Parts: sequence; structure tokens; C-alpha cells
Amino acid sequence: MSVSVDSNFSHKIWQETELSKMVEGGVPFPMITDAGGRIGSLYGVYDQEAGVDVRGRFIIDPEGIVQAMEVLTPPVGRNVSELIRQVKAYQHHQKTGEVMPSGWQPGKPTLKPGPGLAGKVWEVWKPDKAF
Amino acid sequence: MCLMVGKPAPDFEASAYIDGDFKKVKLSDHKGKWLVLCFYPGDFTYV
Repeated sequence: MSVSVDSNFSHKIWQETELSKMVEGGVPFPMITDAGGRIGSLYGVYDQEAGVDVRGRFIIDPEGIVQAMEVLTPPVGRNVSELIRQVKAYQHHQKTGEVMPSGWQPGKPTLKPGPGLAGKVWEVWKPDKAF
Repeated sequence: MCLMVGKPAPDFEASAYIDGDFKKVKLSDHKGKWLVLCFYPGDFTYV
């Protein structure tokens, strides 16, 4: 779901005049209106001086727990591939209990936490895998 | 309240534009699904 301080009328016109030209049928998720930055304030991303929500992105799991967040100032856009990678990593962890080392991509080796691995990570993971 | 990873997401109810309609959306109605909440500075901004 997306959130900005704009009204639903603005969301509607943006969807109709621009977003639907980028994504066939328009974006498929609710575009929430955050009047007065009420929701942004709850999440610590409302800039009171500018009167807008900055680029905050939160991954919330099926239990309603915040698993990850990223907050950027307005000039720089996000990386959707990284978002999807993080969602897949958390899903894999919740399913298997395994943990994902730095640079992990779906299908790549994971680590099984436990006393046997302590001090031995260097044997199975090298810094070049972080990139 | 303070937001923290590993802690519950603050719940809220708000109005939203979806499927050509204006509807009420409640965060906790989406329990059971993975959810991404994405804030941005404004409609029609460039980035």
C-alpha cells in the first residue's frame, strides 16, 4: 500500500492521468491518504516542516511485525529488486529458520545458525559474496 | 510510541483510493499476508 499526504481526489487523478500510462490498469494497491501526516508520524517519516511524508518503506510480516525499514530523503528513488530480495529472505527464514548472509540472493546458499557454525563462517562465506 | 524492527507495526485506519473507489483501509485487516507500506512525498513528484 502507498501513503502520501495527498487527497484521494489527487490519487485518483494521478492514477488516471499518469500511473495508468506506466502500469497497465494502474497501480493495483490502495493509495492511502495521510491527512496531516497522522500515519507518517506513527512511523517516524512525517517531515513536519515540509508537511510531507518522506520515502519510508516498511516490510510487515503476516503477524503484523515490522521486519525491515528503509527511509530516504525525497531526491532519491528506491530499489524494488532489493525490496523483493528482502521479502524473499524473510519468508525463507520464517519457513526454514535459516539465515541469509550478506549479499544473499534467492537460490544462493544460506547459513544454518548453531554452535557448530560459530567461528567457522569464514569457511563457507567470503566477502566477495557480499556483492 | 517508538517504531522498531521486530516490533508490531502501528495500526491505523484511513481513507484510500483503490479500484476506482474511495474506501476505508485498516492495516490490521491485512494480517496473514506480507505487506509493504510505502510512504512518498507527493503525487506527481518526479522520482
